[in-house]
Amino acid sequence: MTAFFVAATIGAYFLSRMLARRFPIPLTTPVLTSTVLLIALLSTANIPYRDYIPAKEIMTFLLGPATVSLAVPLYQNWNVLKERFFPAVAGLVVGTLSTIASAVWIASAFGLSETIQASAAVKAITTPVAMEAAVIVGGDPAIAVAFVIMAGIFGAVFGPFVLTLFKITDPFSRGLSIGTVSHGIGTSQAVLEGPIQGAVSSAAMGLSAIFTSLVLPWLFPIL
Amino acid sequence: MKKEWIMLIGQITCLTAVYQLSVFLVSFFHLPVPATVLGMAMLLFLFSKGLVQIRFVEKGALFLTKHLGFFFIPIAVSLMSYGKLFQSNGLAFTVMIAGSSLIGLAVTAGISDCLSQKRRFRK
Repeated sequence: MTAFFVAATIGAYFLSRMLARRFPIPLTTPVLTSTVLLIALLSTANIPYRDYIPAKEIMTFLLGPATVSLAVPLYQNWNVLKERFFPAVAGLVVGTLSTIASAVWIASAFGLSETIQASAAVKAITTPVAMEAAVIVGGDPAIAVAFVIMAGIFGAVFGPFVLTLFKITDPFSRGLSIGTVSHGIGTSQAVLEGPIQGAVSSAAMGLSAIFTSLVLPWLFPIL
Repeated sequence: MKKEWIMLIGQITCLTAVYQLSVFLVSFFHLPVPATVLGMAMLLFLFSKGLVQIRFVEKGALFLTKHLGFFFIPIAVSLMSYGKLFQSNGLAFTVMIAGSSLIGLAVTAGISDCLSQKRRFRK
């Protein structure tokens, strides 16, 4: 059964990549379409999630190494970032703090539990780091992943539109803000806008993950 | 073709070793940072000091980051056991994600845009 789940997941991934290439719009993001497809498959067949867990353990073995690998594009894009280091760091730091604070405050305004608030605090950063950072501040890794995916899809679908609305035309600032609030899913959209947007977005996604994980254990208790 | 695959697997094995080393360091020294972040920082340090040349791991790293999305799928499938939570809090979650993302986008882009323009005027 586990072999079947692994095959089904890889199959869903390839199908959704084909779909994304055929219709290159943010809503066809492979993570979203594959997940919907697999959940539909499992629920139609009346298979509970716990049966899928062994397959998940096998497939996520390389997630850690893959995240560590982001150091390579980060290093390769370092020159673009170094040139405008101060504006980039200032925007990234204040932007990250404001997106964390507003997520936690909106969650608490809706009367959501402490666990949900802690999971919401990490929603802007890349999934593997978000899972670990959420646990450190008392959040739930699975709920954190849900928020991360929601934030990624939101940033990819509405980010470019919102930035144009705010009259931000500078490609560097556009890439920086999309990578800061919507990690890899947003970055995949920023790449389509242009090479500067893509490079800055992937660097911003790495840096905001590092910054968030370092600052959150101290920041979250005072929010 | 075969040689390329062996090289790719070799590079991915090295990257896995870096990650496992950072997992060990984090748990051994009780560090308050995620292991992935420590691993990234270690690699950046090795590249910038020239201790490891980027081409030794480049192919494997670009393969893994290209398919980074794949690893999130099995994790996202776990959402199916949270159906109830999302049904009863759907509106609150949407407002929270959309609102905080909007604020983050505007603040980040606004500051970076403003400071860059100032710098350009000075030149």
